[in-house]
Amino acid sequence: MELLVVSIFAGLWYWICKTDIGYAITHAIRQPLFAALPIGLIMGDVKQAMIIGAAVQILYIGLVAAGSNLPADDCLAGLIAIPIAIGSGLTPALAVAIAVPVGVMGVFVDQLRKTVNVIFVHMADRYAEEGNTRKIVLASVVYPTALSFFFRFPIPFFAILYGADAVNSFMNSIPEWLVHGFSVAGGLLPALGFALTMFVIGKKELFPWFVIGYFLVQFSGIPVIGAAIFGLCAVLLITYYNNNKKNLEV
Amino acid sequence: MTETQKTAEAGTETGKLITEKDIRRNWLTYYMVAEMGISYERLQALGFTTAMIPVLKKLYSDPEDMKEALKRHLVFYNTEAVFGSPVNGIVIAMEEQKAKGEPITDKSITGMKTGLMGPLAGIGDSIDWATLKPIIFALAATLSATGSIIGPFVLLLLPLIQIMIGLRLSVYGYRTGKASIRELLHSGRIKDLIVGASTLGLFMMGALSSTYVKLSTPLQFDFGNGNEPFVVQNILDGIIPGLLPLLAVLGLYWWLNKKSQNFTVIMLIIIAVSIIGAFTGIF
Repeated sequence: MELLVVSIFAGLWYWICKTDIGYAITHAIRQPLFAALPIGLIMGDVKQAMIIGAAVQILYIGLVAAGSNLPADDCLAGLIAIPIAIGSGLTPALAVAIAVPVGVMGVFVDQLRKTVNVIFVHMADRYAEEGNTRKIVLASVVYPTALSFFFRFPIPFFAILYGADAVNSFMNSIPEWLVHGFSVAGGLLPALGFALTMFVIGKKELFPWFVIGYFLVQFSGIPVIGAAIFGLCAVLLITYYNNNKKNLEV
Repeated sequence: MTETQKTAEAGTETGKLITEKDIRRNWLTYYMVAEMGISYERLQALGFTTAMIPVLKKLYSDPEDMKEALKRHLVFYNTEAVFGSPVNGIVIAMEEQKAKGEPITDKSITGMKTGLMGPLAGIGDSIDWATLKPIIFALAATLSATGSIIGPFVLLLLPLIQIMIGLRLSVYGYRTGKASIRELLHSGRIKDLIVGASTLGLFMMGALSSTYVKLSTPLQFDFGNGNEPFVVQNILDGIIPGLLPLLAVLGLYWWLNKKSQNFTVIMLIIIAVSIIGAFTGIF
């Protein structure tokens, strides 16, 4: 029963979040960390849900959608991995192991959507010819949303409903080294997100700042929020002094 | 000139007034629907047109003008919705002038949109998505790593900040028009903003890599009885702490620069390497 409720929730959540309504609004609420809260409430273990959600979230912190193509589906990854991990009592490292392939699979659903949506563009062209603004709104908002239900809802719904047992028995049967391998991958994959972000920022001459940030934390062990405060202050001061110099030269 | 005078003057010819409230509503609608009808053919064209409809209705009472305006905006459009928001303001200003009978062509409106959408998306991507997002999301994950429910709510800072910026910038675009936006793009202020965001971005990528990337080796070598075993990780830590995670990030960065940006393939390679490493006992 609880499994059915969480399956329905995940299906609906995946659909709503992936209609992309509200730009970063759905981007924020579709994150594994956010979805973990309702999943935890449904399954009756909020604390464990948050811990697993945070572990899966780390994989997708540095993900940047260069040219609007997100390289992994953070939403689907969390929605499937978190309930299965809680239901089967898996460690956060193993939750990450489930999340990764699921996240990759989700990208194909996105590509399918962006291809199918071409239909609505041509509909809108016709409606523009008729000057029918109401139908243009339907074609750009309502139709894509309604259609996407059919390829969003079923994926997490069936994956959780029927996949939990399969994952559970698979995880119980795999050897120790494979489990360890997945947790190594879980530790390494965030590196890809950060490297990708650095690639997108693409300012080679500012590279020493990466090294400063890395070793500041490495040697002092200050938490992320502390590093953010130091970094922000440094940047503000540099900008201020630069502007001052410019003013003096003039 | 006060705000009310300005809008009153702009609306004298058609009898309808475009107010700054219209601009904010236009951008907010665009923010809500920009990605909903996204497609490979025209990306955000549907969302942009939908947001324009209320404004166009105010400006064009002749159905033929309306049809032309709708077709004009259904062309390819894609930008970063927050820092691309001045485009919304400028387009409305141009449409308003056109409705008043100024000789503004389809081409000049489309040209302005396509000319600005790229550079503004570049600014938005580096500030919103490559700097703000990782910092906010990392804070959220850190706060919830021990089971706290604060993290999910911290995530909401991202849309909150974006909406505050977009509402201001869209009105700014309307007020100052295309010439000043081009000027702004070339001026020092935008450059300062990007360099500042990039600096903070790279600094935070370093700090986050240090916190979240984990790699170590259990390798050790025995040199006969009585000798201390040679533990590789201890030696590495002795040279420089966190050497392996650093090499992993730098290696991937190098790979993205020199080889390919195929995220899925790189991800699968990382998993394969991890599993092989675990099997052979290197990791």
